[in-house]
Parts: sequence; C-alpha cells; structure tokens
Amino acid sequence: MIIGSQKPIEEIWDMVKDFKKVLVFGCNTCVAVCHAGGEKEAETIASLIRMRAAQEGKAMEVNHMGVMRHCEPEYFDPVLDEVRKYDLVLSTACGVGVNFLSERIGNVPVYPGINTSFYGAVEAPGRFVELCAGCGNCILHLTGGICPVARCSKTLMNGPCGGTNKGKCEVSQEIDCAWYLIVERMKKLGTLDRLSEVLPARNWSTSRDGGPRRVSLEHIREYEEREEKKVEQAGGKKQ
Amino acid sequence: MAPLKAEEYPKPYRPYGADIKETRPYSPCRAACPAHTDVQAYVGLIAQGRYNEAFEVITSVNPIASVCSMICHHPCEQACRRCAIDEPLAVRHLKRFAIEKSADYRRNKRRLVEKTKGKSVGIIGSGPSGLTAANDLANFGYNVTIYERHPVLGGMLASAIPPYRLPREVLKEDIDDVTAKGIEVRTNCEIGKDVKLKDLVGKHEAVLIAIGLSQSRSLNIPGAEGPGVMLAIPFLEDVAFDRKPKLGDKVLVIGGGNVAMDVARTARRLGVEDVSMVCLESAEEMPAWKWEVDEAIEEGIRINHRWGPKAVRREGDKVLGLEVVKVKSVFDQSGRFNPSFDNDVTTVLDADTIIITIGQMSDLSFLKDSSVKLDERGRVVWDPATQMSSARGVFVSGEVVTGPGSAIAAVANGHRAAIAVHLFCQGEGIEGRLPDQEKEKISQMPADVAGKIEREPRLAIKHIAPEVRCDSMVHFEIGYDEEEALKEAGRCRACGGGAVVDQKKCMACLTCMRVCPYGAPVVASVSEIRPEYCQACGLCSPECPAQAISMVSYDVREIRNTMHQIIGAIDQKRQEPVIAAFVCTHHVGVFGFDLPKNVRAVPVHCTSRIDILDMLKAFESGADGVAVVRCDNTICKYRGIEHRVSARVGRVKELLGMLKIGSDRVELLPVKSGNGGNPYASVCEDFSGRIKQIGLRQSK
Repeated sequence: MIIGSQKPIEEIWDMVKDFKKVLVFGCNTCVAVCHAGGEKEAETIASLIRMRAAQEGKAMEVNHMGVMRHCEPEYFDPVLDEVRKYDLVLSTACGVGVNFLSERIGNVPVYPGINTSFYGAVEAPGRFVELCAGCGNCILHLTGGICPVARCSKTLMNGPCGGTNKGKCEVSQEIDCAWYLIVERMKKLGTLDRLSEVLPARNWSTSRDGGPRRVSLEHIREYEEREEKKVEQAGGKKQ
Repeated sequence: MAPLKAEEYPKPYRPYGADIKETRPYSPCRAACPAHTDVQAYVGLIAQGRYNEAFEVITSVNPIASVCSMICHHPCEQACRRCAIDEPLAVRHLKRFAIEKSADYRRNKRRLVEKTKGKSVGIIGSGPSGLTAANDLANFGYNVTIYERHPVLGGMLASAIPPYRLPREVLKEDIDDVTAKGIEVRTNCEIGKDVKLKDLVGKHEAVLIAIGLSQSRSLNIPGAEGPGVMLAIPFLEDVAFDRKPKLGDKVLVIGGGNVAMDVARTARRLGVEDVSMVCLESAEEMPAWKWEVDEAIEEGIRINHRWGPKAVRREGDKVLGLEVVKVKSVFDQSGRFNPSFDNDVTTVLDADTIIITIGQMSDLSFLKDSSVKLDERGRVVWDPATQMSSARGVFVSGEVVTGPGSAIAAVANGHRAAIAVHLFCQGEGIEGRLPDQEKEKISQMPADVAGKIEREPRLAIKHIAPEVRCDSMVHFEIGYDEEEALKEAGRCRACGGGAVVDQKKCMACLTCMRVCPYGAPVVASVSEIRPEYCQACGLCSPECPAQAISMVSYDVREIRNTMHQIIGAIDQKRQEPVIAAFVCTHHVGVFGFDLPKNVRAVPVHCTSRIDILDMLKAFESGADGVAVVRCDNTICKYRGIEHRVSARVGRVKELLGMLKIGSDRVELLPVKSGNGGNPYASVCEDFSGRIKQIGLRQSK
C-alpha cells in the first residue's frame, strides 16, 4: 500500500493562497488507510485552509470531496464536471493520483495536498513502515524475505557493511540493519549457507534508472484495443 | 385557521433515519409493538430533551398515545434488550412523560383536515380500533362518521377501563386530536336500534364495524341468575357513567384476567374492604399481568387460586357465597385451555356479591338478517387479507374479529382496516397490500456485550400508597419528573440506531474494528457493523478515514452543519470570550443547559460522537475556545471511549498549533456529577476564564 503523510499547513497555504475556489479532493484507498488523504482528511485540510484564509482576511471558497481512487478514471469520471468548477484541485491522493488526475482534468491545476512517502505496511494502528522500493526485479527469495533494496540504507546487495552495529544501522539507531535481519532470518530458516553465494551486480534498468516504467498486459490490451478501434470506427469515443 | 390539505396534514412524522430503519431489522421493542412504534427514536429524543419531537414519533403510529401511556401492557418492555443487562427500560412511563411535556404543543397543532376524497366512511364503534381507523381515514381526506352507542367516544376505554388506571381527561386528549380533524360524531347511537346497518351501507361508500367485545360472558352454574351476582362489563359501565353499583361487604370476583383485576380493584375503590378473587389458575398461570396482580395484592385483595366455580349459594335474593371445586389442571398436554377438576375437593368462599369476569364477546344482534354473515359459532366471517366481511364494502377490525387482545393491537388492526377501506374506496385491490405485522428484529444482546455495559437499575415507577389510593378513583401512578425521565431515557441502548457502513466508500481499513468498544464491526471485503453488538455510541464514525460510516439514529454532520447558528454572530468588541462547549446530553440534560452567557452549548449525545471536524468548525465559526465537557467515567454511558475522545482533542490541539491559533484553546474537561450545583456550568466558567487570559481571537 502507498503511504502518504500530511504537508504542513503553511506549505499548503503557499500553494493555494492565490486561488478563489479550491477543492480538496480526497482519495479513499491507500492514503485513507494511513489517515493522510482520505475524505475525512480532505475535509480537515479544507477546514484548515478556510481558517488560514480567515486569518489573512482572504475570501476563498474551499470545499472537499472524495472518491475511491484517483488512479483509475472510472472512479473520478462521474464527478469530473463538478471538480472542474474549481480554480484549483488540491488532491490528497498519492503522487500517482495527482499526476493521473492532472492529465485528465483539463485546464484546472491539480496540486499535491500530501507527500507520498513510500510503499509500506500497517505495522500497528497509526504506524507505517517502508518495506519495498518497487525496483522491478524482486529478489526476496534470496534474502530471507527482507528487502535490501528498500531496507538497507545503502541498498547493498551483499551486506552488511562495516556500519552495522548490534543490529542497527550507522545512519540512525532507529533503523534496523537490513543485512543483520537477513542473516538472522536465514539462520532461522536454515538457509544461511546460501549467503555464501555472491549476488552479481544488479541491472537497475528495471528500477527508476531505466526511466518511467509501464506494464502492459498483452492478453488484456489486445482485446481492449480491438474494442476501442470498433468504437472509434463507429464514430464514438470509448467511455 | 384554514383547514390543512389532506396531503399536507398529517405528513407522517419521519424521525431521522426512518427510511433506513425500514431496510434493517427492527429493534426488538419496535418489533414487539403491534403498531411498531419507533421506541428507540422517541426515547432518544426524550433523552435529548426534544419532547415535542418524541410526541410526533409516538403519535405518527398511535392516535391513542395518551391512553397507551397509561394502560399499555408495553410488549416493548418485555422485549427490551436491556433485560440481558439488568431490567427493561420503563418505556410506557417515558411515553407518559413525553406526552405530558408536549401537551401545549399538541393542543396547538389540532387542525381540521380538508375533505378531498368526496367519499364517506361510517365507523361503528369508537374504541382503539375504530378511533384509529377514523383518524387515518380523516387524514386521507374522507368524510368520516363515528357511531357510538355510549354518550362519549372511546369504547371500552371510556366505558370499562376504570379511571384509576385511565383518567378520563387523558382519554379526552387523544379523542380531541382525532375529532379535531373534522369527524362527525354520533354518540348515543346504537346500530340496530337507533339506525339500521343497511341505512349506513346506503349512506356511506364503506362501513367499518369496530365494536370490540363489549358483552361479558356469564357462567352457567346454579344460582348465577339473580340479585347479588353481576357481570363485569355492566358493573364497570355503571362505575364509568357514575351509576353507583350496589355492592355488599364481601365482594368475590370470578376470573384471573386483567378485566377481573380492574373489577376487583374498582370494588376496593367503591369502599369495599373485603374483596377477593377466585380463579382456575395458579399465580404463575394467571392471564393477568403480574404487575396488576402485585398492585391488587398491595391493595389488600386476596386471590384464591386453582378453584373452579360450581354454584352460587344463596338464600332467596341474598348471596351467601360461592361453592368451588378444586382444579387439577388448567391446560391439557398440548397446552390448550381445558380445565379438569377434582370433584371430591370442594369448599365455599364467603361472599355477598359476586362479579363474573370470565371473558367477553361481541353483541352481534344487529347483524341478524344483514348481508354480513356469521359463522356457526356466531362470529363475523371476514377475510384477514382484506379486512372485509362477507358484505362488499363492509369492513371489520379490532377485537370483534381478532379476539381479545390489547388496545395497541386494536390500533394496529385499525390502521390496517383504514388502508383497506381507502384502497376499496379508490377502486383498488386490497389483497397483498396491507402491512404485515411480523418484522425481523435484532437478536438478543450477546453476553460479552452485556458484560461491558454498566448496570443501572430501572427507575421505579412510584404509586400513591395503597391505603390512600383505594379511597378514590384517582389515578394511582405518579409520573416521572424531568430529572427521572432523562435518567431513565439515558438507559436506552439505542438498539437499531447504530452505525451503518456505506459499502461504496468503505475500503476495509479496519479502523472501525479497532476502535469499537463492543466488537461490533467485522471486516471482510468491506466492514459490516453488526446491529446486535452495536450500542450506537457513535465512536467509529468520526474515526473512519473514508467517512463511510453514518448512524441510523442521528445525522453525523448535524453539529458541523449547524455550528454557525450555534455560535452566532461574533461581536468584534466583545469583552468575554465566545466558548463552544460540547456537552453530553445524557447528564447535562438533567441540569438543563444552564451555562454562562458567553458559552454556546453544543448538545451531543455522548462526546464519543464529536468529530475533530466539529471542533474545527467551532473555531472556523469564530469561537475563542472549545470545551469538550465529558461525563466522568463512573457515569459515562459508554465505557472505553475516553481515550479516543482525548486523542481527538489532542489532534485538534496539534492543528491549532500549526495554524498558530494556540493549542490551549481546546480542552477536554471531565466532569463529576453529584457534587451539588451544576458542575457543567462551573467547568465551562473556569475554562472561559482561562481563554480570557489567553486573549480573544482577532479577525482581519
């Protein structure tokens, strides 16, 4: 799940202060689970902006709304006409949602209402932890289910480094040393010997280094494109 | 005042959540009420001090609400889920309180209803069933005429129920509500004697027979005929119409039902010291309600159980006593009433007056030679699916066809008959369109939930002392005062009024499951909040990050939406801070909202329901400070909510800090009640003083 976190109100205020009619647009999936950008938080942010505007003596209309997801058009299409009535949409979706809506909304700017933090899990209510970096080439089967890409501060493939200290990372006492965890875990699984095999240098082109990524499922696309073409030939536009 | 149009009066009052309640299992109290009175809604309104609205909820389904507030056998209470915790809610007594409190409101809203249908309906009988049908048909816009053989309306309510149970001015309130709609009333009019049924059939588009069971059954035993032996209904009628019946010094009542109780207790109030009863049943088997029996015993009435009447012993016109025979069993093996006797064991019970109260029947003599057929046992032939008799356009309702029952059951049947008559008059089919009595209800309270709820005994209903109340026909029951009523209403667990998840918005985040103190939500693909667990505390809704949870019994956005009005215009030159104080209606209601002038009370039915957004809205509306005044843990209705409420206040502090408004402008203030004075007012006053020191907010 994507974890987001709220931006300070002053940063938000700087973004929105010159607009007259602002919609704080919540996303009710990942960022709602982490209490950062669901409909409730959207309403909270709207309230804060209104109060901030009152402090400045600025007349501003600020409302809120929410849909299930900003990353699939079917969810926001039904309300898009309403959304377009605003001068600014402050989306509290993750960066994916902000980008995606921005491309489809037309001439209304879409600004980010939250920071997109990482892919994470709900460790405990109200506590979220990063466990995956989305590198595009998973090796968790080789590392005891613990990801060195996301969880080692240096993203080492053959750790630990000299900075490991009683299970903690030299970067911070708050950070567990991922390689310490990997070793301990593999001991438990009885697979420690596999670590004697050195992992080769990685091809990072599947990660951010290869530029923006796209996954296309041919078995689905083939059918969908055929359908789209049919509709196009009939002079319509796919809904 | 101009009569209201039929379609605008009476808009059946719909309390908040009425529509969604129809799609969900009923609370057991509501399911048990034959008229399906929304008990949860009106008790909730009472607890919030909203008495007129409570009155509306009650009377939307019950035109004899005042009567029921005095005499209903309250199946709602027997079904109350609070029985799993301690004792049922005193629903009937709360109804009485609400109705008495809204007396002026009620009288002021009596109006004529415009007759738009151009058709007329004749109703024979003005008891609960006939009165209800008259009320409904008047509401639909029909010309309604009631034919009543007694000089006053009300049927048995006026002519048989003794005034110590039902004061006549109480009955009159209900009747006045109905007749105010513009109903033609023909009292002292007996069908078959003063007018013929066929004249009515000719005059009206439809006729409804709602004559009840107004004749006492007698006993076919030696000596029963003659002076000193009387029947219950004539006796009660004599009392009702002030024709003092002649009683001796020793009155014996035969029968063990509720009417027998009325008869015996009435005899006591006519100055007879020695009143006893004899019935076939044991104390446990008696059909009379237990409370009636207990009250009768308090009044010095003796009950001889398990004896069957054999003969009246008399010397000429003088009754000496009743010879009785021992009962072996009352019911047979299949549970049917089929008494058997031990003829070897007999005794004589001393009495100079005997009153036979063994059941009632209808006087159907006026139907002889009419088109309304009777069956081989002399009962009206009718079709329960259409409420119609064998004669087209002649309908029947109430006890004449359903058999003996309660007033509220007759009301329910009256509603049904009114719909049937209406459909008939409009030329529409009736079958399959009359409301179904059986409703699905919420199951019993799970033991683990019951265990989490504070024991809080029912507030006893006070009575005038037996030695005093037996001196007159004065109503013997003392109503709750406001403090008592609010306290008792607060015991309601609001079954069926709880949380509902909007499945289109829920993304199964588990938040509700984590916060619920009662384990009500289960989350699969989406959350489902189980009504049998939910206590309607409202804690989950403000926590839901998708705002997917609403509450059946109240609008979760109401506070936010009305905050501007609550706070009002802010005077820029004010000397005192404007404080919004969220106060729990469960307890502050008892003290009234008597808060300092600069404090705006935001009533909330437990602080668990306050959203962060409600508090922010108060600041948005210009409040200088926000106090969340919550009841002390020892009196809070919902255990386990305090940490959440405190976390919300903490979050608002954080946000206020970010806005540089100042985090100390909001506080959670727990209050201990019972230390005398109004602790809610004093904590608000203290808080207001602190805010004044911090300073008033300036706006640009």
